[in-house]
Amino acid sequence: MKPKIAYAGMTHLGLCSSIGGASKGFDMLGFDADAALVARLDQGKLPVVEPDLDDMLAANRDHMAFTSDPAKLRGYDVVYVAPDVPTDDLGGSDLTGLDTLLELVLANTRDDVVVVVLSQVPPGYTRARQRPGRLLYYQVETLVFGRAVERATQPERFIVGAPDGATLPPALKAYLEGFGCPLLPMRFESAELTKISINCCLVASVTVANTLAELCERIGADWSEIAPALKLDKRIGAHSYLSPGLGLAGGNLERDLTTVIRFSEEYGTDAGLIKAFVASSKHRKDWALRTLHELVLSKNPGARIAVLGLAYKENTHSVKNSPSLALIRNLAPWPLTVFDPVVPASAAPHPAVTGAPSALEAVKGADVLAIMTPWPDFKKLDPAAIAAAMAGKIVLDPYRVLDPVKAKAAGLDHRLLGVS
Amino acid sequence: MLTHAHEKPLAPKRAVVIGAGGMVGGAILKELQNAKIPVLGITRKEADLLSPGGADALKALLQPDDAVIFVSAIAPAKNAAQVMTNLRMAEAAIAAFAAVPPAHLLYISSDAVYADDANPVTESSPVAPSTTHGLMHAARELLLRSEYKGPFAILRPTLIYGARDPHSGYGPNRFRKFAVKGEAIGLFGEGEERRDHVAVEDVARLAVRILQHGSTGVLNAVTGVATSFQDIARIVAAQFLPPAKVELVPRPGPRPHLLHRFFDITDCYKSFPDFHYETLESGLKRVHAEVQAGA
Repeated sequence: MKPKIAYAGMTHLGLCSSIGGASKGFDMLGFDADAALVARLDQGKLPVVEPDLDDMLAANRDHMAFTSDPAKLRGYDVVYVAPDVPTDDLGGSDLTGLDTLLELVLANTRDDVVVVVLSQVPPGYTRARQRPGRLLYYQVETLVFGRAVERATQPERFIVGAPDGATLPPALKAYLEGFGCPLLPMRFESAELTKISINCCLVASVTVANTLAELCERIGADWSEIAPALKLDKRIGAHSYLSPGLGLAGGNLERDLTTVIRFSEEYGTDAGLIKAFVASSKHRKDWALRTLHELVLSKNPGARIAVLGLAYKENTHSVKNSPSLALIRNLAPWPLTVFDPVVPASAAPHPAVTGAPSALEAVKGADVLAIMTPWPDFKKLDPAAIAAAMAGKIVLDPYRVLDPVKAKAAGLDHRLLGVS
Repeated sequence: MLTHAHEKPLAPKRAVVIGAGGMVGGAILKELQNAKIPVLGITRKEADLLSPGGADALKALLQPDDAVIFVSAIAPAKNAAQVMTNLRMAEAAIAAFAAVPPAHLLYISSDAVYADDANPVTESSPVAPSTTHGLMHAARELLLRSEYKGPFAILRPTLIYGARDPHSGYGPNRFRKFAVKGEAIGLFGEGEERRDHVAVEDVARLAVRILQHGSTGVLNAVTGVATSFQDIARIVAAQFLPPAKVELVPRPGPRPHLLHRFFDITDCYKSFPDFHYETLESGLKRVHAEVQAGA
């Protein structure tokens, strides 16, 4: 008989994970203390933007229940605790909400229930919260905003921190085996540090890409020609993060870097590399601002600016550490028009921003355009139509949303990351 | 990075420039006057910070609401004695500030406080001077920061040029002096080192903005464009008729460790989004015209 699984905290992580479990045929319960949220979820209205998530919920509605009553957790065999752990501007974690929810779950579950912390926590968190007679585990989450359904239904592996570093309780094991991927039980501290290690490796790859892409911009090279060659090297890998970007965003990677630096200060280990990642990210985040000033604003004090995209990446409503907002924050003196398919113009930190009803409306009359989020809809834009609508020709396109050949043919001065 | 107390410019009740007799102080004084800000310029004549009564003389000139720009220095500080002389000047100024604390203090420092290998240099680059001149400014920054508890800003200009440049340091001014005398402009090695040069007027404009915004923190006064001495020499040479000759001369010593120095000026874009620097070519052309006109 399949174990019954519950998720406490109907966050992006909790929602996607629980609906993913339902798609594997498990009976799932989504708990959140917010009754209004639960009512909306019951109606199939999801508060997050993820491709295919709404359809997956609709298709597996028989296996997915929602509640705001914590007493309902008593009927479940495994309860995941998955609230958001907020970060401050420096990437520091506030674990108060997680602790509160964990206590609520422990108070409303049977002693033989497996309680699993799924939120991102610093090393030492889970062991410090062990208590006699209870089964408390930690599992690494690998949510990727915009690809959460894929990550929740086709995980590469499960990494689980266990009290003895080796054994998983039968109910948890049965649930995880339902996904058909390797299970890696390990000691708590290893599992917690694995999550951080994964993110540090991703950041390392991105930082290499950004560092060398900037050099490409100065010496006549094109990073888009170099990256595919690297991916064919087995030591680097076909799926390695080698696309240049505008620094780290979203909050989770930054959180882990902050955690490593904090631990290195506490234990006297070297974190110079991690600090270099942070500095590189900060430098790269301002690429658009620097380019705007060098190409346009230093020459045209009255320039009209258009920005497409406010979200920190495509397919999400999140603007946490968004490069777009970071740019807009420094454009106060200039008239600005913005468009994002999901995020309202009111999110733009600008004293006189105009929200446009469409991407093409936003670029009308603009002296310069910055495409700051690679939304799929923007890829469908015709560069010729953009060129016809704009007053100027300069387009900052850090994510290569427009086809460079078509953009050039349309007469646009198309500026990309990693190209001279 | 600067933090502004006033988002919109607000003139201080009075600005005081300590060191108004020098090229930088004089330019700041002029810019403050252009901005219609009440200003008191203090030179060595009004308060000699190296004299026994220097601190008292300065104290007598200050008022509690003053926004003070401390630019006075014996520069460059090439040896221990000159470093100590500059520190004594700072000591006198600090004593005066302790008696009459300014409402806002801006110290004009130097990019020499940064480590040689800090490329590209930003306001966050470590302060690790490799010259006595850099050491002097770093020490003054620290003394002022430690002893003055009010709103404090530091402006760190790179190599400054201007029509009133009193120095003959290797760069635009020296090149001009050779050209005026009809002598060849001598370039060490190939003149390949690239440096940032900022017009003194831009330094002054930034100083005034810092006062108007009640800013605190650090800002570099740098254009973000590094030009080789060879290119600078050719720009200067071409301003004369017939054009001055440019000659390559052997270096007096080994090539400097610091071959190029680049700055990232993102903090300036963020602090003063609508501020843009004069390009070196335009600035040198303007300076040439000013000198020709006897300005």
